[in-house]
Amino acid sequence: MLLTPQGASRSLAAVFTPIKSRGLVDEVCGRIEQAVETGLLTSGQRLPNETELAAALGVSAVTAREALSQLRTSGIIRTARGRSGGSFIADDVLPSRERALDQLRELTRLQISDLGLHYQAIAAACASVAARRSDAADMATLRSFIPAAEEDPLHWRLALSEFLLEVAAIARSARLARELIRLQADLGTLTLLPCADAGYRATTTGLLEDVAAAVEAHQPAAAEAAVKALVAATTDWLLNEQAKRY
Amino acid sequence: MREPTASPDTATLHAGELDAAITGIEGRLAAWAAETGAALAALSAKVTGTAVDKLIRPVVEELVRTPDGYAAGAGFLANAGLLGPERSYIAWWQGEELEHVDALANFSPNSISRYVKSEWFRIPVETGQAHVTGPYVDFLCTDEYVLTFTHPVFCRPDGPVVGIVGMDVTVQRLERGAMPVLRRIGERAALVNCDGRAIVSAAPDIAAGDLAAAGEGCSAYPVGRRFRIWSNATAL
Repeated sequence: MLLTPQGASRSLAAVFTPIKSRGLVDEVCGRIEQAVETGLLTSGQRLPNETELAAALGVSAVTAREALSQLRTSGIIRTARGRSGGSFIADDVLPSRERALDQLRELTRLQISDLGLHYQAIAAACASVAARRSDAADMATLRSFIPAAEEDPLHWRLALSEFLLEVAAIARSARLARELIRLQADLGTLTLLPCADAGYRATTTGLLEDVAAAVEAHQPAAAEAAVKALVAATTDWLLNEQAKRY
Repeated sequence: MREPTASPDTATLHAGELDAAITGIEGRLAAWAAETGAALAALSAKVTGTAVDKLIRPVVEELVRTPDGYAAGAGFLANAGLLGPERSYIAWWQGEELEHVDALANFSPNSISRYVKSEWFRIPVETGQAHVTGPYVDFLCTDEYVLTFTHPVFCRPDGPVVGIVGMDVTVQRLERGAMPVLRRIGERAALVNCDGRAIVSAAPDIAAGDLAAAGEGCSAYPVGRRFRIWSNATAL
């Protein structure tokens, strides 16, 4: 089943695969956090009770209860008592510039540039294979992810990750796609920061068009180069911002 | 010396084996859609998620746990209107453990928007016809390269599509069934979808996912509703 939703990000679709591993509580929390971030669960929405949550996710009631408690502590959900009581998604949970800046301050230049290197390599491999395998239907889908300049940073960020994931989808490699998803998760909310910069958005729009054109024209080398430039634009922006702390 | 391709009669015979397997999947899905439609129509009370799970899960269990079966996962997806005006509902399980897929979506007020554009949902709902999507990399369920077979469900013959039943088949599983057939047909035989994209290929220079073309003297044998075997495929 392929998810091509309006507004919900497939890049975080790893969230929706069944829970299997240890650290169940953390995984349940992660799922709910990402469901909120992608708009699946909305601010202020009532959450299922722990029994329903446990049944839906295939975990024990104890795990569900611990997860809800952890989410309360981290401020993702709030509990109300009384007749219309229950657990609700908090009102201010979407990725914020402040939190992204905090995240950036925790990182070294080495971490950012090495992640950038890894990301470039995988994205380039996806673009190269996508350029060999693309058809007209693929291109219509890919272009639908190119955002309009006036979109807000949150939408831009989502659109960008959707675009790259679609390149991986066109490549039709499960391994490369999984790797890309992992890298996007590692980058996390950092990508929100450049998306607030009009200059970055303008540059990126051009690069997105370059990638799409090369993939459509079946030019693997050009597609690789364009997508590397796209990733580099993001990490360069972050390195530049990070340098301001010194 | 071994002939590069089998004679037309032998090839037709071999292709027929694969055709039977795929037609079997399509037929099973059609029967399941009919049973589901009848069962939903027979529900005396309002349709709830719990009622849907109770109807669907046993069949999924049977499909997914069939020894050496084709289904990696299967389930039902409700169209808007069945459980509520804007709500969809997903009752889909996969793997030996029968893990519930995309469970959080059923708590979401936005769930219908998730599926409305997806080919495997949209086509059966819009056309009232069965469909097979892909092969494609499946980010929702299996994280693998799969084909998704889906079939519309009706509660009344003249009524709207109330949902779809479907089955995910990994290309890996299909390859196991298809390769012996392809090898017997020819060294460059390939199973392709209606866009000419290779699903399983005996030719070393054509991989699953590559676009291919019919080569010189190529014969085509239908497999299921939408696929065919090319006896002599060339890389594009």
